[in-house]
Amino acid sequence: MDIYLYVPADTPVHRLDPRAKMAALLAVLLLAVAADHPLLPGALLGAVVLVAHAGRAWGALRRVRALILLIASFSTLTWSVFARGTTPLLGPVEVEALLFGVGTGLKLACTIAASVVFLATTSNEEITVGLIRLGLPYPVAFAFSTALRLVPTFVGAGATILEAQKSRGLDVESGGLIQRMRRHLPLVVPILAVAIRSTNQLALALESRGFRARPDRTYYLELRFRAADRVVTAVSLVLIVLALYLRLFTRALRIPGLLT
Amino acid sequence: MKELLTMWKHTRMIILVAVVAAVYAAVLIPFKAIPLIPGYTEIRVAQVIPPVASLLFGPAAAWGTAIGNLIGDLFGTFGPGSLFGFIGNFYLGLVPYALWGRLGPLSTGREPAMAGAAQVVEFAAVTLVSALATAGIIAWGLEVLRLLPFAALGTIIVLNDFIFPAVVSPVVLYLLYRRVKRWGLLWTQIMPREDISTGRGVLGTALLLVGSFGAVILGNWISISRGALAGAAGFQQFGNPQVVGQPGLVWTLVPFMVMLALALVFCRPRTDLAAS
Repeated sequence: MDIYLYVPADTPVHRLDPRAKMAALLAVLLLAVAADHPLLPGALLGAVVLVAHAGRAWGALRRVRALILLIASFSTLTWSVFARGTTPLLGPVEVEALLFGVGTGLKLACTIAASVVFLATTSNEEITVGLIRLGLPYPVAFAFSTALRLVPTFVGAGATILEAQKSRGLDVESGGLIQRMRRHLPLVVPILAVAIRSTNQLALALESRGFRARPDRTYYLELRFRAADRVVTAVSLVLIVLALYLRLFTRALRIPGLLT
Repeated sequence: MKELLTMWKHTRMIILVAVVAAVYAAVLIPFKAIPLIPGYTEIRVAQVIPPVASLLFGPAAAWGTAIGNLIGDLFGTFGPGSLFGFIGNFYLGLVPYALWGRLGPLSTGREPAMAGAAQVVEFAAVTLVSALATAGIIAWGLEVLRLLPFAALGTIIVLNDFIFPAVVSPVVLYLLYRRVKRWGLLWTQIMPREDISTGRGVLGTALLLVGSFGAVILGNWISISRGALAGAAGFQQFGNPQVVGQPGLVWTLVPFMVMLALALVFCRPRTDLAAS
């Protein structure tokens, strides 16, 4: 399972400064949860899909489509049954509850899709330098980006260890959920041991290349905040304020009849 | 707890932050597909890792767990609540090492190598406090953001962060502790004494205990109209999604959140533990 989502390409979305993309991502996340009505998250999801198209991020979205569909549909079903409205529809489900369920499903689909599009169009290096330019100390940004980079490595190590254990007779595919979870436990120790053992090698490699040898360092990647970045950031800031207003100060885009 | 800041001077500690974050995220992500409250939490087998990492890597585990949870969120539950997820998971990696050896009669005063039943009991105790602190912070945060009722999420987080780790993590720690010590990668082996806060930490321990137990008990009590069964009543409110952001609950828990924040200043991890 390769979960490194970045897809190198020369598109307008790729060319945006990572700080502008972070502002846009924050705006989408806040707007998505600003209202209960499915209209807003539905429109946002449409916008995210358009951005994914412009950024050629379909491949990345395709890889997580099962996760998105599962979470969104499970969420829609759960909230449609558990939420309570006033207009009966079918059995225990009311119209308002269904709207709330669909809205929640769309919110989740939207936030996951937006995160995936961000990761598909922004390289680790860009995220690191973007975070540093936003004021995050270099070691913290380095740890964050290294962790992002190591996740697929450890997932790969886990898959290798799983195959090795299966070849020794470990059965992780039969039985119920709890049984299968229990059978995965013998994998935890070797995965952790492999990960921890790599620490000394990584530290040596870093220090031999002068890691933190000087307090002020330069970066191979130079970020430039262009006009398009300014526009995206300004629009994002306006949307963030709008999201906060919708969530905290009005009942617009709420669902009438949803029980409070 | 100055080691939370001074650790960033040490390359191995920085790498350990990344390693803990990556392993935590790598185990979290596949289980995003099995949600408990869609969009907010799921079955978290990965919760086995934070207490183990905390007792091995100290402050690196606190930062690593927080960052790992954030990365995991990017694959399924990223949203405004991720801020409180970051802070809550920070405590998940912080509390076990901060409290180890500080729990009076429950403490063995020895390294957490899981040598004997008494250490397993101490492990369960520090894991319970870490689960409560995490649940209190995240559930309070989502109540502030008016996203989910305290009683629904708080109970699930406590169960997720306590039951599975209390049973499984001692075995993992038993298998790893001596190895990691042999590799010279325990946080107390990497960081010099002058970079670690010293003292008895009585006030810090008290703040952590009162802050975590107080937040969850009082939060549940208020969230479910004072006194009904937490889990069941929490789930009843779960079906009433707009009963969130109760000002009474939000403001009542502020002192407990302040206590948990102050614990960061006053806790003192023990570095004089006897070898197991």
